[in-house]
Amino acid sequence: MKKLYQAVLFLLLCCLAPLVANAQSFRVQCPTSTITHPSSLHDNNSEPAYTAATTFTTGSAGYLTPTANVNGAIKCQQIGGGDGLSTMGDGTQIYMFSFGPLSGLADIANGQPGTEFPNAFNSVYTDSAGNPGTFLPGDPATTVNAGSGPNPVPIAFTYNGAVGLVPDPNALPIDPVTGNPCVVSNPNSAPAGCFTGHVDPRAIIDVGVMNGNIPAPLVAIDEDDELFYTLTNVGMIMRPDLFEQHTVHFHGYPNASTFYDGVPDASVAINIGGSFTYYYLAPDAGTYFWHCHITPPEHLQMGMVGQLYVRPRQNRVPAGASLYDALVAQQADNRTKCDSTQDILCSNPLPFGASAASAPRAATGNYAYNDGDGSTHYDVEYPLQIHGFDPNFHFVGMTFNPEEFSDMKDKYFLLNGRSYPDTVTPGPLATQATDGKMHFAQPLPSIINIPAGGRALLRISDLDVTEYQTLASLGIPMTVIGFNAKLLRDQAGNNLYFNTNSVTLGGGESLDVILDASDTTKYPSGSVFYLYTPNLDHLSNDAENFGGLMTEVHIN
Amino acid sequence: MKAMKMNTTISKTRLLLLLVLALLLTATTHAAAPGITGPIFNLTAQAAFISQPDGAAVYSWGYGCDLSAPQPVFAPQLTTTPFCYAMQVPGPTLIVHENDTVTVKLLNGLPAAAGNTSILFPGFNVNATGGVAGLLTQEAAPGGTVTYTFTASSPGTRAYYSGTQGDLQVEMGLYGAIIVLPASVPANCTSGLHAANLAAEAHWSESDFRLAPAAYDHPDTCYDREYLFQFSEMDPKIHTAALAQITDIATCVPTQSRLTCPTTLEVPTEPYQPAYFLINGRSMPDDMDPNYAAQYPHQPYNGNPHMHPGELTLIRVIGQGRWQHPFHEHGNHVRILARDGNLILSGSTITYPGAAAQALAGRLEFTTDTTPGQAFDGIFYWSGKGLNWDPYGHHPGSSDASAKLSCTPDANGYNTAAPTAINFWEWCQDHNKPMQVAPFGDVAGGGPATLPDANILTNGAWYGGSPYLGPNATLRATGCMPTGAAQTNAPNCGATGSTPPSGTIANPPSSEAGFAFMWHSHNEREITTNNIFPGGMLMMMLVDSREFVIDESN
Repeated sequence: MKKLYQAVLFLLLCCLAPLVANAQSFRVQCPTSTITHPSSLHDNNSEPAYTAATTFTTGSAGYLTPTANVNGAIKCQQIGGGDGLSTMGDGTQIYMFSFGPLSGLADIANGQPGTEFPNAFNSVYTDSAGNPGTFLPGDPATTVNAGSGPNPVPIAFTYNGAVGLVPDPNALPIDPVTGNPCVVSNPNSAPAGCFTGHVDPRAIIDVGVMNGNIPAPLVAIDEDDELFYTLTNVGMIMRPDLFEQHTVHFHGYPNASTFYDGVPDASVAINIGGSFTYYYLAPDAGTYFWHCHITPPEHLQMGMVGQLYVRPRQNRVPAGASLYDALVAQQADNRTKCDSTQDILCSNPLPFGASAASAPRAATGNYAYNDGDGSTHYDVEYPLQIHGFDPNFHFVGMTFNPEEFSDMKDKYFLLNGRSYPDTVTPGPLATQATDGKMHFAQPLPSIINIPAGGRALLRISDLDVTEYQTLASLGIPMTVIGFNAKLLRDQAGNNLYFNTNSVTLGGGESLDVILDASDTTKYPSGSVFYLYTPNLDHLSNDAENFGGLMTEVHIN
Repeated sequence: MKAMKMNTTISKTRLLLLLVLALLLTATTHAAAPGITGPIFNLTAQAAFISQPDGAAVYSWGYGCDLSAPQPVFAPQLTTTPFCYAMQVPGPTLIVHENDTVTVKLLNGLPAAAGNTSILFPGFNVNATGGVAGLLTQEAAPGGTVTYTFTASSPGTRAYYSGTQGDLQVEMGLYGAIIVLPASVPANCTSGLHAANLAAEAHWSESDFRLAPAAYDHPDTCYDREYLFQFSEMDPKIHTAALAQITDIATCVPTQSRLTCPTTLEVPTEPYQPAYFLINGRSMPDDMDPNYAAQYPHQPYNGNPHMHPGELTLIRVIGQGRWQHPFHEHGNHVRILARDGNLILSGSTITYPGAAAQALAGRLEFTTDTTPGQAFDGIFYWSGKGLNWDPYGHHPGSSDASAKLSCTPDANGYNTAAPTAINFWEWCQDHNKPMQVAPFGDVAGGGPATLPDANILTNGAWYGGSPYLGPNATLRATGCMPTGAAQTNAPNCGATGSTPPSGTIANPPSSEAGFAFMWHSHNEREITTNNIFPGGMLMMMLVDSREFVIDESN
């Protein structure tokens, strides 16, 4: 056995040798103009209002290009695939294979999506004088001197760009008079042509190693956006024997492309030392999620799971304009239309019996789907992801033991990567990893704050890999409005919403729930309600008979 | 300890090698929903060993065909080498028509110690004759028979399974499916796009493997292709204990130390710890071998779905075990049509092409729960709509005629007027739209995405070799035409740009180059076979370019 191992190792080293000589393989992508979002027609650093379907003409290259009403924008995000440590509700530190943010660091630490417009993503990390900045291992937790207790939000760190991004010294021809225009003291003043996606790998390794988060970085995009999602595989420093690839699977994407589907058996997987940019036009609005698809029973149990949702174009309808009319306008583009008699997978036909000019867009708040009747309106939204961790399996994953799958048994039951009472600790939670640095491994609290008289949208997904999980609401009834990223509506346009006090999800499922606290007599300011699991053995943190899958709902 | 990890790595590799070998040895054959037609069925319940990809032969019980009765008629009709032996898991799929009077005669051929057995047909009003009285229905005593008669009152997919000591007998494999085809087919299911689809099949010499053009008497239940998947799990401890006790009962002789011999089974079915997770009685990768493959005499049905873009694919799914499984279909959502043969309908009527009818009200799901004893029918399709790049890699500047096809959108945006074209059902809004920034091979540049150096990527066995669909696009994208063919895209042939070359075998770039999607249990520990990954409840679904012939003949 040992001889074989040595032979394999030798072979591996031989295979790696030519790689070392290669150009660097880390890079990011975030174009500022594309065929679909030409900067000549629209500034891609903001979402334009939705007033009409995009119009197209066939360009000289033989494909359609937009001529007016460009909708959506360009969004970019970078994540690192590697490992990390997080802290369970009973204080146990647990080892994870995990993704961590390599862009949107400040937003992620503040509990927000790390998905950025090009102007934010393409900015270079600098100090206050504009000179090139240097990340510290563990950042942003190290720079803000994070503690293991509650950390204040917003954190004292504002950079949201792509970690490692620098002007490419080889990008432009070297000017004999001025020298290299891409080598300047203030990198953010370099000409646009200097930004080719070239990165400094030192920054990526400094920030990316032991940087794992649970859940993985939050992704939020708007319908009609193009998403450039870069996975950078920094390796698992505590398991150097594994040389594992990682991928991103966009779970539930309709009409997915197999190339960008992240299934290593059916596509490409990303080796250590490489970056790969997944490219999608945003699918229909809804609550999706994402995860690594390498050896799923292992990598998902170990923590490579994250949240993703797509906001509807209905949000971008100007306040006071008719949502019904906006949905009618969407029928003008075959990509955004939904005709039940023509497409059996169409989920949001025009609302039954509704008429023109109905359902004005509210001045505040947003919508979960393109409902055309305003019925999915909410004031605040919370992504909630359910996980289960089996500490025995994680120990095996940290060490060098053969894995057992059939007797996997979760002992930690997590909402957004935390067990009660950590679920209601505000701000990011930091864990000191084996590199001696604090890392914001659990950035997302799951405390639900609803303004008095308001409605909260819960985007609930489950990526437990072992069993079904139930989440109940003690107090405010749950109104289920969406299921598996689709509006609950029949083909004739009747809403099929239903009220319940609990929802049950298997791994790989999601649904949308509205907690309607608009009755301030029943739900007055200052009251506290609970979301908890009636799988009573899941209200525990391993040996602690208290905790687990539970959080609080506060009426503010 | 490191060597231990190597063990699992090697077993994974070995499994993959076996899989690749298996794929090499077998012709490309796919699934459909094979079974036997009625309305009179002569079944038997017997014991046999079923095979698992870890090498285990698991003692099981299953329904099969009574070999003393006339040979059954198999469906679909083009199935070439069907068999129905005396025992199979799942049991024979019973295919009947709405309003048929169905007669199922069951002969109990199980070992005497197993006791009585029976069949339940939930959803039908069953009249049982003969046999002996049991708790839920009339049962067949060892060596005896019982006859069940019922009217196939409504169309759809339903489960049948043992009604005798179900915790043991269903676990041992006594379950199957019954499919009722609608008495009449809505007119729109045989005209318009469905007729165009048949024209496309005829053009490519592809056969029609459907059992019917519609799942129900409803204009929105038409389909172009169909598959049946039965999910179950097995705890090998139960099977081992059953065999040990059966053997003991059969061979026991009273002695001084053992004064009496047992006569009935006392197999514990709790605590339940399944290690095998099956689709149609097989674990991955065996499930992707052909139907009626000779190496699985007791597991004739596979799970190997294929489809072309735009085809409405009916999936008939049954939960046959005691657990629920979240079955995740990569690639798109599934419209749930019905549960246990009950169409889920709205109170409102809408006008489908050619006919008004009550609207469908079943959910759209990307993860469909299988529930013990419950069946659902659902419609899935994949069209590539909304990718924002041309998956066929069309390139107007090419010298290859197939790279310069036209795309004429119908009212919904698809290229459906040309059934004989490779890009039949292409989503026209993205026609000719490039994906890659830099041109490569015979695929145009100017798109949004930069592909990395191929050296940092690892290709999977089902990777078609390029981001593009079909052999024509894939060969153009990888820069070369097949050996012997004219290099129409010189001088790019032989270049090794950003698209990794692929030596994959499961989905060859030069002949299939389909888009492969994993369909699997999302309780991910269930995609293992007795603790070995990959395995279990997992199969690959391939979306094949129109030029690839999907052959479901066995």
